[in-house]
Order: sequence, then C-alpha cells, then structure tokens
Amino acid sequence: MDLSTTALAEAEKQHKWEAMSATDNTLKLTEHANKLLTVHLSELFEKDAARFEKFSRRVGPLLIDFSKQRVDETALQLLSDAADAADLGGWIKQLFAGDKINSTEGRAAMHWLLRSPSTEDAKSVELKGVHQQLQKMETLVAKIHAGQWRGFAGDTITDIVNIGVGGSDLGPLMCCRALEDTAPESAKGLNIHYVSTMDGSQVSHLLRQLAPQTTLFIISSKSFSTVDTLYNANTARAWLERAFGDDPALIRCHFLGVSSKADAMLEWGIPEENQLALWDWVGGRFSVWSAIGLPVALKIGMDNFRQMLEGAHRLDQHFESAPWTENIPVLMALIGVWNTNYLHIGAQAILPYDGRLKYLPSYLSQLEMESNGKSVRRDGEPVEGQTCPVVWGDVGPNAQHAFYQLLHQGTQAVTCDFIAPASRYQEAVHGEAAVELVYQHELALANCLAQSRLLALGEAALPAGEQLPGYKRYRGNQPSSTLLLDTLTPFSLGMLMAAYEHKVFTQAVIWGINPFDQWGVEMGKKIATETLAHIRGEATGSVSDSSTNGLVALIRSGLNEQQ
Amino acid sequence: MKLDVYGDTLCALVSAAALASTGNDVVLHVPDMPLLQALSAGECPFREPDLPELLLEQQQEGRLVFVSVDQPPADDVSVVFISLAPSALPLANDIVRRFATLPSRSWLLVNQSTFAVGTTDSFTAVFQQSLPEKSDARFVSVSLPDVLQEGAALQNFTRPAHFVLGCNNAAAEKLVKEVLRPFNRRRDGILTMLPSEAEFTKLAINGMLATRLSFMNEMANLADVFGVDIEKVRQGLGADGRIGDAYLYPGCGFGGLSFSRDLMSLVDTLASSGVASGLLHQVLAINEHQKEVLFRKLWQHYDRRLENKTVTIWGAAFKPNTHRIENAPALRLIDALLAQGASLRIHDPQAMPTLAHRYMGHPNIEYFNDEYDAAKGADALMLVTEWKCYWQPDFIKLKSIMKTPLLLDGRNIYGPEYVREHGFEYYGVGRG
Repeated sequence: MDLSTTALAEAEKQHKWEAMSATDNTLKLTEHANKLLTVHLSELFEKDAARFEKFSRRVGPLLIDFSKQRVDETALQLLSDAADAADLGGWIKQLFAGDKINSTEGRAAMHWLLRSPSTEDAKSVELKGVHQQLQKMETLVAKIHAGQWRGFAGDTITDIVNIGVGGSDLGPLMCCRALEDTAPESAKGLNIHYVSTMDGSQVSHLLRQLAPQTTLFIISSKSFSTVDTLYNANTARAWLERAFGDDPALIRCHFLGVSSKADAMLEWGIPEENQLALWDWVGGRFSVWSAIGLPVALKIGMDNFRQMLEGAHRLDQHFESAPWTENIPVLMALIGVWNTNYLHIGAQAILPYDGRLKYLPSYLSQLEMESNGKSVRRDGEPVEGQTCPVVWGDVGPNAQHAFYQLLHQGTQAVTCDFIAPASRYQEAVHGEAAVELVYQHELALANCLAQSRLLALGEAALPAGEQLPGYKRYRGNQPSSTLLLDTLTPFSLGMLMAAYEHKVFTQAVIWGINPFDQWGVEMGKKIATETLAHIRGEATGSVSDSSTNGLVALIRSGLNEQQ
Repeated sequence: MKLDVYGDTLCALVSAAALASTGNDVVLHVPDMPLLQALSAGECPFREPDLPELLLEQQQEGRLVFVSVDQPPADDVSVVFISLAPSALPLANDIVRRFATLPSRSWLLVNQSTFAVGTTDSFTAVFQQSLPEKSDARFVSVSLPDVLQEGAALQNFTRPAHFVLGCNNAAAEKLVKEVLRPFNRRRDGILTMLPSEAEFTKLAINGMLATRLSFMNEMANLADVFGVDIEKVRQGLGADGRIGDAYLYPGCGFGGLSFSRDLMSLVDTLASSGVASGLLHQVLAINEHQKEVLFRKLWQHYDRRLENKTVTIWGAAFKPNTHRIENAPALRLIDALLAQGASLRIHDPQAMPTLAHRYMGHPNIEYFNDEYDAAKGADALMLVTEWKCYWQPDFIKLKSIMKTPLLLDGRNIYGPEYVREHGFEYYGVGRG
C-alpha cells in the first residue's frame, strides 16, 4: 500500500469518530460536488501527477483505474462516510448471514453461497444442496462431453439449446461467449444455442437447422412458469413429436430442466433424473453460478466453470473484508452514487474492448437496471434523488462507429466503464494466427486508452496551440473507469461479475432500496394475458384506451384477412 | 540376393518371411525391442494365417535373421525395404542418413510405408545431404505400397493380383522386378508409375473401398426405413458388371488400424492442401455413426433404458482372424453400453487379451472362453465380428440359456426367417 492510501485509511478511521448524520453528510457531499463541478478533469490531472497511483486498486487479476472519474480524496472520504451512514457494514453482514434482506418477497439473497467452496463439515443445508447440484451438473456434463447422452433414436447429442429468458439467458449467453477460447477438447463437437424471445423468431430459425435426433434442450426457468420460456419449450416438444411421435421417453432423452419448482418440471414431463435444482434465495440475474450456468459448463467444461465460481468467491471475500476505500465493488458503487446523485449524470455506458465480452453490456443492463431501477425505499417512502442510471453499451470498437459521437460532442453527460484484458490470444487454440491477432488486440487496447483519455481531457489531450472550429471541438470532462483484467479467464470473469453484483448491492444500500425484487416487470405480463384474449377474439368489449383498441382492431382485421 | 528389411509392421514381417522363403538371405531390422525379442525367440505376435510358421521355418533354415535397427547392413547388401508405421518418418530419415555414411555403393530403397505423398522421392534429398564429400555412392528410392489385408496378408504378398510400383529409374525397376519375380509369375502384374503416384494410389484405394462401404451402410439404413432386405438389394447391385460385388457388405462399420488411419490421413492431406474433402469426410462420419447401429437398435428396443441390462458381444476384433481392435466397432458399442449402465459378457477367439488390457478390470465386463457361456442370462446377443465359429450356432441351446432371445446381427450373417423360427427377435443391418 502506498503512502496516500494509508493516509486515506487513517483519515477514514478518524472520521468515524465524528458523529455525523446522513443529512449533514449529504450536504457536505453536495457542497463538495458543487466545487468539483466547475473543475475540468484535465485540471485534476494537471494538478496531481499521481492520480493513477491514488485512484486505482487491484485485487488478483482485476485492476480498476478510477482516476478519470471526477473525484478527489475528500469526495471519496465523504462517500465512504455515506456508506457508513447507510450502515453498509451491517447490510453486508446480513447479506452473508443469509438474512431475508429481499423483504418484499420474504427471501434471502444468497447468490454468494453458490460459489462457496464445499467444506467437509458443511453445516448449512443450503451449501450441501449447492454442491450436490454442482456434482449432478458435473455428471451430466461428463456424459454429454463423452458423447454418451443419447437422443430418442440413440444418437449422440451434438446441439444444446438453452431455452430461457432474462437471467436464464443473459448470464449463460454472456459467459459462454466470453470464455469460448477456454473450451476443452471434449466440448469441441458440441454446439450451444440460445432461445429466449417469446415471438419464436429464434426457435423457428434454429429448428430449421437442427436435427431432432441430436438436439438436447435445457429448459431454464426459476419459476417454471415464464410464458416466454414455456411457449418456446412447447414448440420444441412439438417439433420432436412430429419427428418421433408422442412417447414419454422423448422428454427423458431430449429435455433437461433447471428450476426451483420440481413439481412443475415433473408435470411438464421432465423426470427427476433430468432435473437440476435452484432455490428461491437466488434471483434470476444472480443465478449463472447455479445450474442455470449449465450451458456455460457444457461450453467450457466443469473445471473451468468451477474456476469461475472460485474467482467470484475470491471477490466475495474481498467485498466482505476490505475497508471501503480499498474495496473495489464498494468504490464502484460510491463512484456511481457520486456520478448519479451529485454530478447528475443519468447514463452509464459499458464498453468492453474485447469482442468476447459482446453480451456483457446487456448482462450488466439487467443486473443494474432490474436491481436498482426502483423509486420506493425499503421503508415504503419515495426515494429522494435519482437511483440507477440508464445502463447500456456495446463492444467498444464497434460503439466508436455508433454512439461515441454523442459521448464526445453531444449534450448528455455520460459515465463509461471501459473493460479490457491486458493480454490476449495466449491460448493454444489460436495457433499460428496468434501473431496477427495479438496485433489486433494491441490496436484495440490503444483505442480503449485513447478514447477514455479524449473523453476525460477533451482538447487538453490534443497537441497544444491548435485552434479548432466549433464543430471539431472536444469538450471532454466525461468521467470513466477502466477495468483491466490480466487476461480474460473463467477466474477473472467470475471476479468481474461478482464485483458488479456487489456494486449493485452497495448502491441499493446507500439508496435505501431493495435490489432483489422486480415488481415492475410483473404487471405487464398480466395485462398481456388480457390483451391476448382480445387479439384472439376470445374477449368481449374493448380494452379501455383508444390506442390499444385501435391497434387491436387493426391486428384483428389483418388476421381475419389471412383466414 | 541379400536383402535387408526395416520395420515392425505386419508388412515388414510378411515381406521378410516371403522374401526369405524364395531363397534370399534376409535381415529384418526391428525398431521395437519387445518385438525383436519375441521374434528372436521364435514367437510371432501377429496372428496371421501361416505367418508364424513361415517366420519360424525361415529362421530355422537360417535365411531370416532378426537384428536391431541400429545394426548396419552388411557391405554386400544394397537393396533395402522399409516398412515402418506412418508415425515413424523421423526413423526412416535416420536410416537413410546412416546409409550415406556407409561404404559407397548403389543403394536401392524400396519404401512400403504409408507416409505422406511425396515422401519416397524426398529420401533422395535426405541421402544426398548426409553424403560425405567425394563419395561416389548412388541412391534410388522406389515406392511399393503396402496393400496387404489383415487376415490374408501372406497370401496377398505371395500371390497378388498385381503390384503397384512407383519408380522413375529403369535400372531400379529392373532390380525390383527381379526381387518380385517369384510372386509375379502367372502374368506380369506389376503396374509401374511415379513414386508419388503409387503412394497416392494406395490412399485412393482405401478411400474408394471405404466410400463403397459407407454408401452401402447408408443404403442399409434406408432399407430399414422402407422395410426391405438390403441383402437382396446388395446382390442385385453387385450383379451389375459396372459395379461388381466386392466391398458391398453393409454392417456395423469398418475398423482396423491401417484402413481407418490411411483414410484419416487422406482426409487430412486433402484438408491441409486446401482441397475440401466433402465426400471422404462424410464417408468417415457415416462409418463412425454406423459403428453404433446395434446400440441404437437395442436402445430403441428396450425403450431407451439399458440400466442393468446384460448384453453379450460375439466378436470384438476389427475383423475375423486378427486379435487387433484398433478402431473396431466393438469399442464404440462397449463404450456406449457401459455408459448406459449395461453389463457386458464378451467372447472373441483372439481379441480378448487386447480388450481386457484396454478396459483394465472394468467391473461391468466379463470375458468368456466359450461363446455359449458368454450368452448365459443375456438380454441381448450382438454379433459384431463375423468369426467363422459364429456362423451357425446352436439356436436351440442359445434360446434356452439367454434371458431374452434377442439377436442383433451386425454383419447380416444369419437368415432372419430361420432365426425368428427359433423364437428369436432379430435385427440385422438394413433387413427391414
């Protein structure tokens, strides 16, 4: 630890002695923010040559550089006080004690337990269950990788289709793509596909290409009642029945189920031996560590999957024990709060400079926006300021040709997370092409660093003395963090994902909201059921508003013409 | 003539024995130490018809001697056969380099090994590079591809329909023809071409044969769908003079060390030279799929549950009259059945020790010296390799000892009606 961070930790201790109410703290933060709002990032860098040393932290293979955020030591200290004022320490204890902190649903939030190592005297029933399911997964993966999972006609399975939506889709999809270079030899003959959308576009496209003899479906649904998933699953079953006829063995040979509802799986036809369990104390967007991650294990092998769990566990330990100003997820959260509530930045872009992280932006959109897109506090009162910003993104180099224009010259303030592995293409799979590919990675890294620099410094990043016309000017002062992994491995990805999970939790603590429910997505489903009856002509009367009535009428007239 | 042969393949042993038997003095250089010891002790690990006897006889007559690969050829030897495994190209190059350092003479190297196309020609460059200055040694290499069929290898060498000889040197051609004269009497059956053409011919022959087999297996699977008997179709097909009746037998896939290996090498050669091998790739894929045809029939028969079923396998060698199991269909079947929790009872006249070594003490496999003992209490009997001893079993006895009279005939050697009359359920390959 260098001098400045030691000093920071010391100052933090001192500070705790000062009794300070949340309101006082908020005022101080606002005051300090007002001062910093007038300071350009380029000035901060000019004044302090050691910003990187002061404002970057490293845990294992994960480094975060937040020196391009518009913070200084005082801001960090005040934010750290805000965490104390919100009793973050107490909340972390409750999280890891398995208390029912998902209050609106009366459940614990124990996604961290999914990556806890097995101990011989594991007392917790839950932990035993977790490792039993991991063992069952391992057996399934081994059988499928050996080519010994057999379809109805006795063929080896070559294609896996994961049917799931939301957390049962985004997590597995993101990890599979991110870690595909680590796939073991035994997984080379296996193709993994994803079906999520209720409209059937993906499933119809896939079923045209696949052979029923060699396709195995995984139905992934925590509640096993998600209509999107069940419609897709029924379409898949009908496709198999057209090929083989209706036979009870059909489902046994071609379907696996992952759900917390064993009865519902059984009723659908999935026998116990084909079921993998999860539990109501895991939220969908936190569930890729469980059997929901089966497609990931099938892609990268069980050893790699366990590495991913280990990486996340390593970060759990860090989150539980590190002081706030050394704690990567807490720092990410505090910076987020600073940007949202004090610098009034309402948008955050996720910009991986590695095509393998293509699905990370949508994964994090769900994690952040479904968790913290709330406006009512735990105590039932409306929140006072802003909560979760709009989170979106894309692979950085592609986004440079799409929405970076707005980042550089638009009117919106946006904060960015740049994410990249320092080195790449070391795996044997790249063979002789590694030389050219390493050049490409270096190019991507250069762009990553250049973009964050230009966003932060603006014209100060350009050679001095150049007078530019208005339309060519760079305002700069857009803050960003850079998350650099040594390499993208199952372990480092596990750490990265867990860091965002705990960031989200920490922000929820500070905002006083429950990040583990998602009531906002329930009502739409109900109304859709009513609307469906109107579209199918099974309901009488009108649907209340003139817009919906008009649209339904138009759709129905189209349907009638077809018939 | 004095001839040296280098190698540890079946072809090396057959060539050495056959060449000694016609009066040549042959020294066989064996790179594999255990094999050298066995041969020196009068044993032959290849169970080829008549080969062990001939080797022993020639050894006793004093015309065949076994030595290590390091021992240099005598000064009066100038014709050398090389018949090594495809993976032993570095050794072949070493041997050629060593020749260059020996007292000068005119070397004739007859390459019987299946290396990549062009290798025979490349030996000349290897030799020249190692040649000391002022040496007046000369070197010619020719290709005489190994086209022996396991199970009939000796006969293939001594009474061949033809030889393919790759050679672009008149003097060398004359000399090889002289060496082969005793086996080339009925009519001149030596087809001469360039060495690389001969090497390629060998690969193409295997590709063609495999293509016929995979074609027939695909037809057999269609015959199953249409409910017709592929055996009738096969005879009709073979009667067409443009097609002929060789290699048209459908069954549960082909195996064997060299056949599959050469074919894969051909596919690889095509792939690495940028020519897409659509057909041969499929030929191999169909064959691998076909190896499990009996498993699929059993899987469907028992409603996709084979836990605790007892399955008897007759024949595990990749073909009759050999103990070898490389790429044998039986292996795929055994793996598939074990993975589903079935227990296996296996009989094979020669391959059981090799098999037992591969499955080292697997608790769900038992081996039997008597084919009927193997069938006791079985839920199914699978005929996988058509050894002669299986062709006409005592069906009455079989039915009485099996738990369920279910017969899966992977080589279509039984008459379906006859078997069914004896109370068996019968599945063949493409028999409706």
